[in-house]
Amino acid sequence: MNAETASEHSGGSGPESEHSGGSGSESEHSGGSGSESEHSGPPGPGDAQVQPMHNTPAPGNHTPSGQGHAEFSLGIPNPRRRKRINNKAMWAFIFIAPAVIFLIFFSFIPILFSGWISLNNWDLITPLNKMKFMGTDNYTYLFQRDDIFKAGLRNTFVFTIAGVTINTILGLAGALLLNSKIRFRTFWRSIYFLPIVTAPLALGMMWYSLLNKNFGLINNLLGYLGIPPQPFLSSPDTALACIIGIAVYQYVGYYIIVSTAGLQGIPQEYYDAAAVDGASPPQSFWYITLPQLRPVLLFLIVTNTIGALQVFDLVFATTTGVAAETSGGGPANSTMVIVLHMYNTAFKFFKMGRASAMAMVLFVIILLITLIQLRLLQKRD
Amino acid sequence: MKSMRFVLYLVVLSAMILAAACGPAPTPQIIEKVVEKTTIVESTRVVEVEVPVQVQVTEVPQPVKLTMLTHWGEESLMKPMQAKLDEYMALNPHVTIEYQAVTFDQLLPKIATARAAGISPDIYHFYNLWMPDFAKGGMLAVPPPDVLEDIKANYTPGSLQAVTYADTIWGYPTEINTYQLVYNKKMLKDAGYDKPPATLAELTEYTCKLTKSSGGKVEVTGMALMPGWDSGVVHPFLSLLWSAGGQYVADDLSAALFDSPEGLSVLKYYTDMITQKCIDPAIGSFNDFVTGKAAMIIMANWFRSTLQASFVDGYENVGVAQIPTSGSGTPTALQYNWLWGVDNGSPNRDEAWKLVKWLNTPTAEGQASPMGDYLTSALGAIPSRTSDQVALKDRLSDEFMTAYVASAATAKPEPVYAGGQEVKTALQTEVEAAWYGKKTPEDALKTAAEEANRILGENK
Repeated sequence: MNAETASEHSGGSGPESEHSGGSGSESEHSGGSGSESEHSGPPGPGDAQVQPMHNTPAPGNHTPSGQGHAEFSLGIPNPRRRKRINNKAMWAFIFIAPAVIFLIFFSFIPILFSGWISLNNWDLITPLNKMKFMGTDNYTYLFQRDDIFKAGLRNTFVFTIAGVTINTILGLAGALLLNSKIRFRTFWRSIYFLPIVTAPLALGMMWYSLLNKNFGLINNLLGYLGIPPQPFLSSPDTALACIIGIAVYQYVGYYIIVSTAGLQGIPQEYYDAAAVDGASPPQSFWYITLPQLRPVLLFLIVTNTIGALQVFDLVFATTTGVAAETSGGGPANSTMVIVLHMYNTAFKFFKMGRASAMAMVLFVIILLITLIQLRLLQKRD
Repeated sequence: MKSMRFVLYLVVLSAMILAAACGPAPTPQIIEKVVEKTTIVESTRVVEVEVPVQVQVTEVPQPVKLTMLTHWGEESLMKPMQAKLDEYMALNPHVTIEYQAVTFDQLLPKIATARAAGISPDIYHFYNLWMPDFAKGGMLAVPPPDVLEDIKANYTPGSLQAVTYADTIWGYPTEINTYQLVYNKKMLKDAGYDKPPATLAELTEYTCKLTKSSGGKVEVTGMALMPGWDSGVVHPFLSLLWSAGGQYVADDLSAALFDSPEGLSVLKYYTDMITQKCIDPAIGSFNDFVTGKAAMIIMANWFRSTLQASFVDGYENVGVAQIPTSGSGTPTALQYNWLWGVDNGSPNRDEAWKLVKWLNTPTAEGQASPMGDYLTSALGAIPSRTSDQVALKDRLSDEFMTAYVASAATAKPEPVYAGGQEVKTALQTEVEAAWYGKKTPEDALKTAAEEANRILGENK
């Protein structure tokens, strides 16, 4: 992430320490030279550039009068400069306006609309002005009566925790391996990244066929090894584990690539210094690599948690079957996830209000988890 | 100022162009001129000119585009239907038909979302269980009088009932599907049986006797289940329930009735067989019967073509029997129907009904309708139109179809009511929970009935 920035400086980490001394470029020093001082802060001993306070040039110095203070006139802003700034601000707003308008119309307003629908009973067919207001009944139903919703929440959390944890560990391990001097490193990096560029739906259908208990390739191979065919996606005991495995297969490459970029941003000098101090490789990993990778890991965990909590296409593709003869969610709803249940509730049962309530609940859950993660994982200043 | 004037001129010009482009198109006309030749003699030459005597103007129908949606998405099913639509378009050149097909599982979401997005197909072929929700929401157009007359005069009472809701017929019934016990004759013979089971007790005995296990794992199950699919779970359950003398829901839809001793006996058949490892829920699709992983299955007739093409021991070894009975019950198959409906918001309703009527009308006296021909040749389904059942009796006369056609005479239609799909899914969820040992049969049926009662109450 900060690979380029990190390699430009020799001390510290992060962009804050790009230059020694304080920040700020405008000189507020008490001594004036004709031009702005290149460093801020009070003049130190031995600073030959210090000039008297007034503009009268000292003998032997050729300092144009008034220079260096033309823009600064006791705090009263220049009207022409203010107009230039306002014009710049206006153009800035104009350039970001399309993105903001897009966000308002395609994110903000739909979220508000969904929140309103969640308080009503709407079947997707009746005109909106004839909806029946239900208050919080939809939410009450979800938490008190809807067993599939609870199963979906449970499965979603298991999928997220297991998937993100395994991918983080495997991603880091893969990055350490690929960052070392192995042969055909570029080739291996490409191989790991290939599943990422495959559509989840296509991947799900592929694995559905591979894991089929009757004609799947995996069971055929197990048969050659004398192992009886396994139910995989057909058993409630193994279906969710299979889905997690497919998700790991798909996304581990992404974790590896991003972790590799983070690893390459860690200066070698740290490891050299640690080696000089007698640190072992595990100690170097624990005291140098992990702390330096904290921002990268934070990014990976937070973004992938948000994605995993909204999983749909992978579960849909692997549990509805090639001919879509099944309704999704796996045997005994063992792989039912929140978004799939939301989809079934909205488009099969025509309960858009209840589905919107689920969406709101998921939104709050994701928000809370993200805030907690940011709090726990962010580096303290 | 000048730039403002320029912008104003541009806006007015654009508005004029838009108005011209969006204005109503003139009705196309064919103008035929009848002329006669007249000879005009001029001083230096004779000239023949054509003088118009009569002008006839005939209005040509406006071009119409119809969108039709079905769940017959496989190529083997799309091609024959497209051929029929091509035939209609050739007869009606002003009509263009766009044929859309999705998988069954996507049909209901597709219809619902297309409706919400304002891009509903003009015509859809849908499962009659969804009819009450569609009708209540004002989605369906009431058929015109000529269509209603045709339907009332030419369809079986069961089919009429299947497409009627709130005292209104909502479309042309198409395929009839019933459920029967389908078995592998060769496997039964190898196990020493010369006839299929007739009672639930015999079914229990046969299921265990026909199961083959190795190393503690079931390799061939006596009875295939179809988990994960609402119809696959609920339809066989209801067939056995009715054949045991039980009921699904009250006639006045006031309460669910499947949590009765009869319902419990049916569910316990499944759970006992699973516990004794005579049924393996992991062997869970009709394809398992086709490939020889199951000796029996309770299934509908529409998978005939799959059996003809791929049954492991040959189609001649497929047997069909009535649903086993228990207690005071008589063999009762569940029947469900599909129908063609026209979207109420379609701007081309008249043309849409014309197409649907043409599809369901015999091409000539004693001949089958295009739909009847399609259903029996491509699907192995039983057509609802009585004239099709007569005209196509040769296609319905093999041993497999004869049994299903006979069962249609006494089959019980799946109850059709608002919220029916949700009740079905609730029952499916609980039955599967019992299959996989997550709940006892008693708890599963109790929970399902409570949920069903809540849904029935909501939709009153």
